[in-house]
Amino acid sequence: MSFLSFAVGGAAGTALTPMPLKLMDDSSIWTQMWPWIPVPQDGEVSYENSVCTLCPGHCGITVKKVENRVVKIEGMKGHPVNDGGICLLGLAGVQLLYGSRRVKTPLKKVNGKFVKISWDEAVTEVASTIETMREKGDAHKIGCLSGTNRGTVPELLKRLLWVCGSLNFFHMPSVQDSYEITLRMMQGGSAMAGFDLENSDHVISFGSGILDGWGSPVRMFRAHSLWREKGARFIQVESRLSNTAAKADKWVPVNPGTEGALALGIAAVIIDESLYKTDFVDNYSSGFDSWKRQVTNNYTPEIVSKITGVDKSLILLTARDFGRAKNPLALCGRGEGSIPGSIKDFKAVHALNALVGNINQQGGVWAIPEPDYINWPEPTLDEAASAGVSKGRIDGAGKGKYRLAQSLFNRLPEIVNSKASSPPDVLFVSGANPLYTIPDTVAMNEALNNVKIISFSSYMDETADKADLILPNHVFLERYEDVPASAGLNQPITGLSKPVVSPQFNTRHVGDVIIQVAKKLGGHIGDAFPWSDYKTCLEETLGDKWEALNQTGFVTEADFNPTNDMSGFKTDSGRFEFLENGSVAEVLFSSVKPEGDEASYPLTLVPFDSMRLTGGYIGNPPYLMKTVEDTVLKGNDVLVEVNPKTASKYKLADGEKAFLMTPKGKACVKIYHYEGIKPGLIGLARGLGHNVNDRFLAGKGVNVNQLMGSKEDTGSGLDAAWGIRAKLVKA
Amino acid sequence: MEQVKDKKFGMVIDLDKCTGCGSCMVACMSENNVPFREDETDKLLSVAWMRVYKMTNRKPYPDTEVCYFPRPCMHCEGQHSGHSPCVSVCPAVATDYSTATGIVSQIYTRCFGCRYCMAACPYHARVFNWFDPVWPHGMEKSLSPDVSVRMRGVVEKCSFCYHRYQKAMEKAYVDGRKELEENEYQTSCTQACPAGAITFGDLNNTHHEVYKIAQPDHKHHGKSKNPKVFRLLERLGTNPKVYYLSSRKWVRQLGDNYRPDEIMK
Amino acid sequence: MSTLDDQAKESTDEAAVESTEAIQDNGTGGYIILFFILGFIASLLVGWIAFPMALYSKKEQPVAFNHALHMDEVENGCESCHFFRDDGSYSGVPKLEQCIECHEEVQGDNENEAHFVSEYVEKEREVPWLIYSKQPDCVFFSHAAHVLKAKMDCVTCHGPVGEMESLPVYEENRITGYSREVWGKNIAGLKKNSWDRMKMDDCADCHKESNNKVTSVQTEKDACFVCHK
Repeated sequence: MSFLSFAVGGAAGTALTPMPLKLMDDSSIWTQMWPWIPVPQDGEVSYENSVCTLCPGHCGITVKKVENRVVKIEGMKGHPVNDGGICLLGLAGVQLLYGSRRVKTPLKKVNGKFVKISWDEAVTEVASTIETMREKGDAHKIGCLSGTNRGTVPELLKRLLWVCGSLNFFHMPSVQDSYEITLRMMQGGSAMAGFDLENSDHVISFGSGILDGWGSPVRMFRAHSLWREKGARFIQVESRLSNTAAKADKWVPVNPGTEGALALGIAAVIIDESLYKTDFVDNYSSGFDSWKRQVTNNYTPEIVSKITGVDKSLILLTARDFGRAKNPLALCGRGEGSIPGSIKDFKAVHALNALVGNINQQGGVWAIPEPDYINWPEPTLDEAASAGVSKGRIDGAGKGKYRLAQSLFNRLPEIVNSKASSPPDVLFVSGANPLYTIPDTVAMNEALNNVKIISFSSYMDETADKADLILPNHVFLERYEDVPASAGLNQPITGLSKPVVSPQFNTRHVGDVIIQVAKKLGGHIGDAFPWSDYKTCLEETLGDKWEALNQTGFVTEADFNPTNDMSGFKTDSGRFEFLENGSVAEVLFSSVKPEGDEASYPLTLVPFDSMRLTGGYIGNPPYLMKTVEDTVLKGNDVLVEVNPKTASKYKLADGEKAFLMTPKGKACVKIYHYEGIKPGLIGLARGLGHNVNDRFLAGKGVNVNQLMGSKEDTGSGLDAAWGIRAKLVKA
Repeated sequence: MEQVKDKKFGMVIDLDKCTGCGSCMVACMSENNVPFREDETDKLLSVAWMRVYKMTNRKPYPDTEVCYFPRPCMHCEGQHSGHSPCVSVCPAVATDYSTATGIVSQIYTRCFGCRYCMAACPYHARVFNWFDPVWPHGMEKSLSPDVSVRMRGVVEKCSFCYHRYQKAMEKAYVDGRKELEENEYQTSCTQACPAGAITFGDLNNTHHEVYKIAQPDHKHHGKSKNPKVFRLLERLGTNPKVYYLSSRKWVRQLGDNYRPDEIMK
Repeated sequence: MSTLDDQAKESTDEAAVESTEAIQDNGTGGYIILFFILGFIASLLVGWIAFPMALYSKKEQPVAFNHALHMDEVENGCESCHFFRDDGSYSGVPKLEQCIECHEEVQGDNENEAHFVSEYVEKEREVPWLIYSKQPDCVFFSHAAHVLKAKMDCVTCHGPVGEMESLPVYEENRITGYSREVWGKNIAGLKKNSWDRMKMDDCADCHKESNNKVTSVQTEKDACFVCHK
C-alpha cells in the first residue's frame, strides 16, 4: 500500500518534471540516426577538371569534391567532346574509385592464392622475370596487351618490350582499327577516321550503335539532338530495334551481316541514277570505273534485296534520299564497336561516302592526323634485344596477308593451337580484360593457361584473377595520363587526366612501375628511360602543351579544317582508291558466315550493346546495374530477346527458362518476347555474366563472349564475327 | 521583408531527343545518395527517383517502335494550389507542397512509412525503403552532404534537387542578389543528360526556356498550348509540372487513357 | 482489460464508501499521504536535478579558446574566422589551416596556445572541436539566408560568444549525442534569450514572427524544404 502510494506520488511528480517530454524528444531523435546509417560529412566544396578514360570517348569531366572526398562526377562545360553532358558510366565512375572491386596492394600468386607483396618485391619480380627471359634467349616471348595503343603509357610499355627484345605489343581491337585500315587502303597514310556529324543533314548508319555507345557516346547523343533540331535525317540499318534504331527516322531491318551489301546496293542505285558527285569521282579518285562496273552488275536492287531481306522499293528510296542529300554521311562498325568487323563492309560504306563526295567535306568523313607529340629518341638495343626483335611479331601483324593490321590478339588461341609460331611466355596486361571481352573466352582462357600474366589492373577482373602477379595501377581519378584523341571526333584533341584525389590504396602508376623496372634492369634498358618518374616523362613529352592541359584539361587544334583539301591522299595514285591496287577481280562483298551449321543450330545469336551495360574491360558499377531493365536481367537470369513468331515456333513462352546453345557453349536463359527483333534471331546483351569479386556484378546473367566464336576477317585478320548459330531448347 | 516572386519549377522532357540511355537515372542516384542493393532487378523494390520506362507501339515486327519515358516526380499542383495526390493524404505532414517553388517535398525523418502517398501517386514516383541502405566499405566516401541519407521504413522521391536551389540561393545572397538566373538552378538529371533532352526552369517565368516550350496555360491548370507537348494522365487533374514533348502521335496518346474512338481522331 | 477495469471500479466504489472511515479508523491514511509526498518529492528531485545530470556527460573542448581575446585582435569581427565562402556556403568552425595563418609559431606566453601549437599545429592535426550548435543531418541551415539576406546578427542565435573568455563545458546528450545548447540549458526548455535554444520550434517561431510568407500547404508556415533536406 505504501509502495503503491509512493509510486503514484512518483508518477504525479514525474509528470510535473520535464523528463517525459525530454526523453520522448531525445528518443525520437535517437531513432532517426541509427549508427549504421552514414552521415556524410560537410565541408568545402571544390571542382576539378579532368578527362574520363572509361571508354574511348574521352569526355571532359568536372569532379565535385567535398574536402578530399569525390562525391560526384559531372560533364565539363565547354569541352569539345561533351560540353557538359555525361554518360551514366562516367557518372558512376566514383563507384569505381571507392568500389570493393579494387586491387588494394600488389599481389603475387603463390600456390594458386594471392598473397600481398611490397612494391619493391613486385618491381624486382617483374625485372627478374624479364631478365630470365632475356637470358634464355626468349625475349621475343614477352608480350603486352594494352587497352589502347595511343598515349604515353602504351608507348612506355611498347618501349620497354622493344628494348628488352620484343615487338609483341598488342592492343584491344575495335572498329577504330578497321577504320584506320580502311583509310590506309583507300586514302593512304595513317590517320584516324573523324566524322563531321554535326554538319551532316542525312546520316545512314550500317549497324553502328550510334546511340548505344559507338564512337564517343555523349558526342553522338549531342549530334543526334542537333539533327532533331535542324531536321537532319537519320537512317539505321540493323537487324534489331536497338535504341539507335528506335530513335532513327527510319529503321531498315536487314539480315544480320549483310549491311555491306546494302551499302553497295545503295551505291548501285546512286550510280544508276547519276546522283553521285562527278567532281570528286572524276578528279580525285581512281579505280572508279572498274568498281562501278562491279557494283552495278552485281549489286542491283533485286540482288541486294535478296541478300539483305530489304524490299527493293525501300532500297531505292533510301538510296535516292541519300544521294540527294546535301551533306550525306554513312557510318559503319556494329554496335558500340568493340568487334572490328569485316574490312569489306567498311570499304563498301567508305566507297559510298566517296561516291557522294563527302571525303574531307563538310558533314563528311575526315582523316584526323595521328597525335604526334611523343617523339622519344630511338633507344639502342643490346644483343639480346636485337636478337629478340629480329624474330618479329608472333601474330603476323604487319606482314603478308595481315600487312594492314597492327595487332591481332584475337589470333592468340590459333597461334597456341597451331604451334606455328611460339606463343608468349609472359604477358603484361594493362587496361584490358581479354578473358572477358574477347569472343570465345573459353579458347582465350586455354591459350593463356601456360602464360605468366603480369597484370596492371586496378580491379580484380577475370584476367587479373588469372594473373600470376598484379601491380595495381591508380584509377583514372588518381593519376596523370595523356588522353590522345576521342573516337570519331572531327578534330584532333589531346586531353589530360589528372589526379583529383590522392591514391586510396597502395597502388602505383603503371608508368612509374615501367620506369622503375627499366632502371632495375639497367644497361641499355635503363638508358631508354631517362625520366625519374612518369610525371616527369609526361611533362617533358607534352612540352609546351603541359601548361594548357593542366589548366583546361584539353588542347585542340583550333585551325584544323580539312574540308575541300583533296591533296591529302597518300595512296600511290595520290587519289582516293575505290579499288585497292585497281584489282578488278576483287569481290566487293562477301557475307561473313556465322559459325555453326544451320541444321543443328536453326537460329542466330547476335550480341547487342547498351549504354546501361558496359561490355568493356571495366564491368558495370552498382549504379549501372540499377539501370539495367528487367527485360534484360531478372534476378540472376539473363533474358534473351526472341521475336514472338520465332518463340511460338519453338513453343517458348514469355519468361520461360530455356537453354541457349551455340557451337561454343551453353547457357541457361529466360525468354523475352520482343517484337523489335528479326524472326530467327536471338538477342543477348553484352556486359553481363562477370565472374569477379563484386557481389553487385558477379554471377548475374551470361557473358555472351562465352557463347561466341571469333571469325578471322580475310582482309585484315581482325575478328569479324557478328553472331553465331544457336538454338533454344526448353529447360 | 521584401518578397520574391513565387516560382513554379517544372520540366520539359523532349522524347524525340531522349535516347533512353539512363544517364539521368545515375545522375540522380549519384547526386541524391540513392542506395543500391545486390539485386536491383525487382523494380518494385529498387529505389530510384528517376526511372526511364520503355514503351512500344505494340505493333509487330518490323513496324515496332519504341519510346523512352524518363519519369521523375511530377510535383503535381492539383486543381487548387498544392492539392497534389500525395500531399493531401499524408497523415504525418512528411510531404508538403511549397507555393513558393511548386516543389513537393519529402522529409524522411518525419515519414513513418504508412505509404498512403505511394498508393495515392498515379505515377509510381515514390519508393519505399524496405531495407536499410548499406554502402560497401569505403563507398560511403562518395556520399554527398547536401542530401540526407534515408533509413529503412520511409518513403522517398525526387525533390527536383531542391538542395541545388538552396545552394544557388546561398551563392546569390553572397553576391547580393535575391533572384536566380535560369541556369543557376538546374537539376542533376537536366545537367547530365547527354542528349540535352531535359529543360528545367520556372514555369511562371515567360523568359525561361521551359516556359517557352511547355507553354503552360495557367488558367487551365497548366495545360500546354503546344500541340506536341503533353503531360502524363493529364485528365486526372493532377496538374503535374513535368511536361513531355513528342512529335509522334502514338507517344502522345500513351500519356493518358484514351477511348479507342478518341484515338481514331 | 475489462477485468482490470472492473476491479478498479470496485475498489474506487469501496473507497468512496469507506474513505472517511478508513482514515479515521486504522490511521493508514497518514502513511499513504506520506508515501505519496515522498514519491512526489523524490520524483521531482530526480526529474529536475538528477535526470539532467545523468542525461548529459560533460566534455572539455580540446583547446581552451578565448573568443574575447581573439575579437580584440581581429579586424573583421566574427567573420574574420567564421566566414562565407565564395559559393555562399559557410565555413563554420575554422580549420587548422586558418589558425596557422597566425599561430604557425607560439606568439605569446599563454600555456593554452603553446599546447595548441605543439599538439595540433606541429603535428598537422585538425582540432576535434565539439560543436555546440550541431544539428541532425535532416536539417538544412543556410547562414547566408539568415546573415546576408535577412541581416540577422550572430548573437541572435549563438549568443554573445564573442565576449566569452573561455569555452563553456560541452554537455553531450547521452541519448542523441547532440549538445545541451540545442535543447537549452534550462531542462524545462524555457528560454529567456533568443539564443537559449536551437530546436525546430525556435526556428519556426522566428520564421513566423518575421512574417515570412506562408508557403506550406500542409502547415501554413514556411515550407518544410526551407529548413530540411
